[in-house]
Amino acid sequence: MAEETFRTETKGMERYPGLTAFLEGWGIFRQSLLGKIGLVLLIMFALMALCSYIPPLIDPMYNPMTGVDPVITCSTGPSRAHWLGTDFMGRDILSQLLAGARVAFMVGVSAAFMSIVLGTAIGMTAGYMGRFMDTFLMRLADMIMVMPTLLVVLILAAVFGQLNIWTIVLIIALFRWPGVSRIIRGQTLSLKQRPFIEAAKVAGASHVRIIFRHIMPNVLPLAFLFMTFRVTSAIIIEAALAFLGFGDPGTVSWGMMLQWVWKTGHMFKAPYWLLPPGICISLITLSFYMLGRAMDEVLDPRLRKEDQTD
Amino acid sequence: MELRRYILKRLVQITIIFFVILTVLFLLFRLAPGDPVSRMVDPDMTPEDAEQLIHQLGLDKPLGIQYLVYLKNFFTGHFGISFHYGEPVVDVIWNRLPNTILLFTTSIILSALVGIFLGKIASWHKGEKTDSVMTIGALVTHTLFLPWLALILIWVFGYKLGWFPINGMISEEVWLDPDAGFIAKGLDIGYHMILPLTTLFLIHFGAYLLIMRSSMLETLKEDYILTARAKGLEEKDIRDRHAAPNAALPVVTSVGLSLAFSINGGALTETVFTWPGIGRELVFSVSQNDYPLAQASFLLIAIVVLISNLVVDVLYAYLDPRIRY
Amino acid sequence: MALLEVEDLCIDYKTKNGYLKAVDGVSFSLERGASLGFVGESGCGKTTIGMGLMGMLPPNGVVRRGRILFEGEDLLRVSAEEMRRVRWRKIAMIFQAAMNALNPVQRVGEQVAEAMLVHNPSLGKEKALKAVEELFELVGLQTDRIRDYPHQYSGGMKQRAIIAMSLACRPSLIIADEPTTALDVIVQDQILAEIRALQKEFNIGIIFISHDISIVADMCHDIGIMYAGQLVEYGPREDVFDSPAHPYTRALLSSFPTLTGKRTDLVPIAGETPDLVHPPEGCRFYDRCQEQIPACREKVSRWVAISPGHKALCCRCEMDGR
Repeated sequence: MAEETFRTETKGMERYPGLTAFLEGWGIFRQSLLGKIGLVLLIMFALMALCSYIPPLIDPMYNPMTGVDPVITCSTGPSRAHWLGTDFMGRDILSQLLAGARVAFMVGVSAAFMSIVLGTAIGMTAGYMGRFMDTFLMRLADMIMVMPTLLVVLILAAVFGQLNIWTIVLIIALFRWPGVSRIIRGQTLSLKQRPFIEAAKVAGASHVRIIFRHIMPNVLPLAFLFMTFRVTSAIIIEAALAFLGFGDPGTVSWGMMLQWVWKTGHMFKAPYWLLPPGICISLITLSFYMLGRAMDEVLDPRLRKEDQTD
Repeated sequence: MELRRYILKRLVQITIIFFVILTVLFLLFRLAPGDPVSRMVDPDMTPEDAEQLIHQLGLDKPLGIQYLVYLKNFFTGHFGISFHYGEPVVDVIWNRLPNTILLFTTSIILSALVGIFLGKIASWHKGEKTDSVMTIGALVTHTLFLPWLALILIWVFGYKLGWFPINGMISEEVWLDPDAGFIAKGLDIGYHMILPLTTLFLIHFGAYLLIMRSSMLETLKEDYILTARAKGLEEKDIRDRHAAPNAALPVVTSVGLSLAFSINGGALTETVFTWPGIGRELVFSVSQNDYPLAQASFLLIAIVVLISNLVVDVLYAYLDPRIRY
Repeated sequence: MALLEVEDLCIDYKTKNGYLKAVDGVSFSLERGASLGFVGESGCGKTTIGMGLMGMLPPNGVVRRGRILFEGEDLLRVSAEEMRRVRWRKIAMIFQAAMNALNPVQRVGEQVAEAMLVHNPSLGKEKALKAVEELFELVGLQTDRIRDYPHQYSGGMKQRAIIAMSLACRPSLIIADEPTTALDVIVQDQILAEIRALQKEFNIGIIFISHDISIVADMCHDIGIMYAGQLVEYGPREDVFDSPAHPYTRALLSSFPTLTGKRTDLVPIAGETPDLVHPPEGCRFYDRCQEQIPACREKVSRWVAISPGHKALCCRCEMDGR
């Protein structure tokens, strides 16, 4: 019954099948348990990121990077002043953990956003232009797809020296668009056959206008649904890079925290320091992944059918 | 036969990709800001040695010639001298290659086989407790942060319980023992490999499990499954003989697609466990600014990834007759 | 004793909205070597009958009532394991050609051989493959194609392979569900002729399921017209075609000018099939019927004998006393 009214509401939106799909997708998403758990976890991490601004305001020693507890000179366990303990220099681990959440979101979302924009643009171009352009761009995508991004960033770090966080984000984005572009290309190919595109062509609209006015609004929702997967891989790559010691030395990320535990030889004696950042990276990945799977259900009609049979 | 044409076509594609990588790497090392000579020649070398090396690498020639020299050196195995080890790069990485291949292929094959097997079981128990436990378990292990998992395993099984060695690939007392035979040495390597292998396995099998599970559920709706059931096959045979071989195909594809991801994980694992492989060598060389070694390690890893891609493609063609014929 | 006797078969599908009555009170019988055809639009329950006979209803399908007496044994009472043994050995099935009925990664010959080996493991693979060769010859397939994969076959060849497979255990009953849909007309005629010849040769009972009334007319001694889960008319081919009693049958037939002449597309009958979760009390065809009378709506339709062996489920026929 609810579905019935939903359908009538969305009538007259045939010109924007992408938007319709988005609204329908949200309806399906709401039924997914995994998706809901993922969303709750993410909200928790977002709160952590917001809270990261609080500790340095309480006392400068809670600054995650530069604040050092004056009375502590080595790593100590949880205490009243430091709920999660301190690192080898006497810096507060909780503040670092909160700051790490902020960095993770920043890196994940911005890298994912850039790669989605890039992937969408390339996918639309390939799908719409077809022929040589299509072949060329898709071969390029194939090629980039087989490259191990982490090692690519490493080799670039070797050539260019220390990379700052935004450079890292940019490189990740540059190497993470092929997946999105493939999907957008497919979508564009099917949109190209729709009557309203034909109509626009007959009316004399330019290619650029057709792409931006008619195709983009329809593929964009799909592209953004796919952002979740890109967020995960960006966070993991940044964390791994920081863990290996090639992160931005000016930021406190979870990967960086693990690098400090590992390099200072605290992994056997300071579980209070080893556990939190690892759990955070793993959980944020898990939550984006669950969100992504729920999206998959939304996007893949075959998966949906599976659930409808029972 | 069609298969031969298919492999040939993929081989051509892979060669092209490799040449592009080779060229991009060349341009990167020669054109990036800074002095290319200082990147290829150890600053601590004697001037005579340095002169000779500059000549051998063609660094005193124009860029076009340099490129040709670079290609020639690549095919004759001259990558320069490692700054850190002071010996030809090729000797360093050549020794590391088998170690990487051993860990990499074992982990991929193991995780794919286990993932396929468990995914099949999960799909068979769809909606039951077995299924939920497996699906959630796969999701959780797959999203664990690999280096952290490695540290935890080292901490628990290496340090606390003391069951397994936590670094390296061999124990000196076994390898220096003149009486130790081939089997003893092999077992020693296997013993050292357990923790790194477990790390890679735990990260990877979950993805394959999830793909196999949904692929199985999809396949079980196919018409030929109906035929098999109508023929009076037992459910076990329907699952194993008809559904599973078809359902495993997407898993093989995904193994191919995730090779890049796997090699990233391989490099991290090698680094944490100080497993003497190319991935670790790459990380190490970058941190030591050992440019020739970094460049060669990267190239070799690219070759490993591309060849494994080819292997996966051939395997796919072998499993799916629609491609083979 | 009839080969197959189905009495008052009712099959429901469990859906979100309740039980959908896919097959409702269907009875028919089939002699050894005879053929019976079911005709109806998609969703009328004809495929469900086939699946019900094979004991292969989907997980949400339940047999609410009825008996399926096959060679004197009620198939609804046997265990799952016994039913498995009946399948293919006694009752085989020919699937739609359009369907992906052959496993794409197995050789066709092996799939046919498998059908024999399941029910007779002691036969051995080699002998089974020898037998497959004979079957291939029987259905007009070249024996050197035994080792090919399904994608190397044309649509007609796949259909022949499936027919060969259906004969693997020399069953006494074959259910053919839309066996020639999606084949071109010439191949279709060849395949149908093949089935007819084999049926005669091996004295097999055939249940033919199709939406194409002319094919069924070509193939079957008896015809059952199905509508919305019910059998609405049943009788010998000549009777049903020469003097159709049910308005639905007449509507169906009117779209085929001659039985042997050129086939035309089925002219859709206006209106929609009723909701089968809450089927109407009276005649299910009422809304679309051209000849409706008020009584059709209220009264539960009853079977009316038109002539010996020919009956219809129609209120008007009852009134008219036909």
